[in-house]
Amino acid sequence: MELLDRYLQAVRKYLPLRRQDDIIAELRANMESQIEDRESEFGRPLTQGEFDDFLRKMGHPMVVASRYQPQQYLIGPTIFPMYLYVLRIALLWVFVICMIVAAVVTPLTTPGAQSVFDALLRIPGILIQTAAWITLVFAAFDFARTRYPSVGSQIEGVNKNWSPSSLPPLTKDATRAGKGRSFAQAVIEIVFSALFLVWLLLIPKHPFLMLGPGVAYLQSAPYQLSPAWWSFFWCVVALNVIQIVWKSIDLVRGQWQSSGPMQQILFKVFGLVPITVLLTAPDHNYISLKNPAVDAAHYGQNLSQINNGIHLAFSVICAIVVLQLSFDLAKWIWEHYRNRIAAG
Amino acid sequence: MTVAETTFENLRLELRRGCLTLAVLAQLKQEHYGYTLRKELAEHGLEIDESTLYPLLRRLETQGLLASEWREEDKRNKRFYRLSTDGEHILARLLDEWNAINSSVSRILDAPNAEIK
Repeated sequence: MELLDRYLQAVRKYLPLRRQDDIIAELRANMESQIEDRESEFGRPLTQGEFDDFLRKMGHPMVVASRYQPQQYLIGPTIFPMYLYVLRIALLWVFVICMIVAAVVTPLTTPGAQSVFDALLRIPGILIQTAAWITLVFAAFDFARTRYPSVGSQIEGVNKNWSPSSLPPLTKDATRAGKGRSFAQAVIEIVFSALFLVWLLLIPKHPFLMLGPGVAYLQSAPYQLSPAWWSFFWCVVALNVIQIVWKSIDLVRGQWQSSGPMQQILFKVFGLVPITVLLTAPDHNYISLKNPAVDAAHYGQNLSQINNGIHLAFSVICAIVVLQLSFDLAKWIWEHYRNRIAAG
Repeated sequence: MTVAETTFENLRLELRRGCLTLAVLAQLKQEHYGYTLRKELAEHGLEIDESTLYPLLRRLETQGLLASEWREEDKRNKRFYRLSTDGEHILARLLDEWNAINSSVSRILDAPNAEIK
C-alpha cells in the first residue's frame, strides 16, 4: 500500500488546494475497494507488477489531477478567435512602431549605429511583453466571463443577441474578387511605362523635361549633382526596363489579369537597389560645388546641411520601403501557409 | 497511430462524452459510490476509466445534478452519490433529446438512399 500512498501524494500535489483532502479521501476509498475486489478475485494479494499495472491504468498523477480542475485553459474557444485577432493586430503595430523608432527616431536623437542596433535588440522583448499583457487581459476576462456570464455579454462574439445587419460591409478586395485587369488595361499600362522610360532617358540631355524653367536657376547656381545620382538614375532606368519586360511576358503568356504577390515583392526588392546606391554614396556627397576653390567659404556650410538632409530623407524612404516589404512578405507567407492548410 | 485512427479516436471520445454523462445520471437513480458505479456501468456494457468517472461525478455535483454524502460501509468511509431533484428534471430532458437524436439518426440510416449501413 506504500505505492498507493505515494501515488495519492503525487496526485494531491496538482489538485485544487481547497478540495485536496476530500478528493484524495474519495480516490483512496475507490482505489482500495478496487484493489480488494481484485485480491478477492485472485485469492491473494496483488503482486508488485499487478499493482504497477493498476496504477498505470489509473493514469499519471498529473493527468488524474488535471481532470478535477474546473478550467483547463487560459482562454476558452469562445473568445480565442478574438484574442488571436487582437494579438496579431497589436503585435504587427508594435513591430511597425518599434521599427520606425529604431530606424528613424533613434538615429535622429542618438547618433551612431550602436544606438540603432540597441533599439533593434529591444524589439523582441517589447513584442513578448505585449503578447503577455494581451494574454493576461484576455485570460482574466475569460475567467470572469465563465464565472459571471453577464460579464462582457454585449461584446462582439460573446453577445448572443447580435444582429446580422451589424456585420461590416464587404471589403474592396472581396467585391473585386474574380475581377482582374482587362487586356486593354494591361496594354495601356505597358504603353505608359514605355513612355515614362523614354521620358526618363531624355532627361539627362534635356533637363527642361523634368525641371521646366528651374533649369536656368540650376545652371546659375554654384551647385552641381554628384556622380552618385548617375548610378541612381541608371538603376531606376534598369528597374523600369525589367518591369516593362516582365509585364510584356505576362501579356504574351496570357497572365495579365493580376500580378502575383511574389512579383510585387520582387519589384519592391528591386526598388531598394537605387535607394541603397544613394545611401552608400561616398561621404554622403550628393551635391557638390562647381568651383570649390571660389565658393567653398561661402556655400560650404549650406552644402553640408543639404547633403545631410538628402541622406536623412532617403534613410526614411528606405525604412518605409523595408517595412512595406516586410509586411508584404509576412502577408505572402501567411497566405501561402493558409492555402496549404486549406488544401490539407 | 495513423491520422485516420487519431481522427476516429477523437470523434469517438467526443461522441462518448455526452453519452457517458447521460448514462451516469441514469445509473445514479440508485445510490452508488464511485467504484460500484463504475462496475455497474461496465456490467451494462459501458466501460469508463476511473480518471474520467470520478472527476465527472464531482462536476455533476457542482452543477447541482447530483447529491452526495460520506458514509461508512465495510469499515471504510465512502462518498455516495445519487441523482438530485434538479438532476431528475435534467435527466428527463436529456433522455428526450437522446431519443430524438437516436430516432433521427435511425431514420437517416434507414432512408432508401442511405449509403452507409
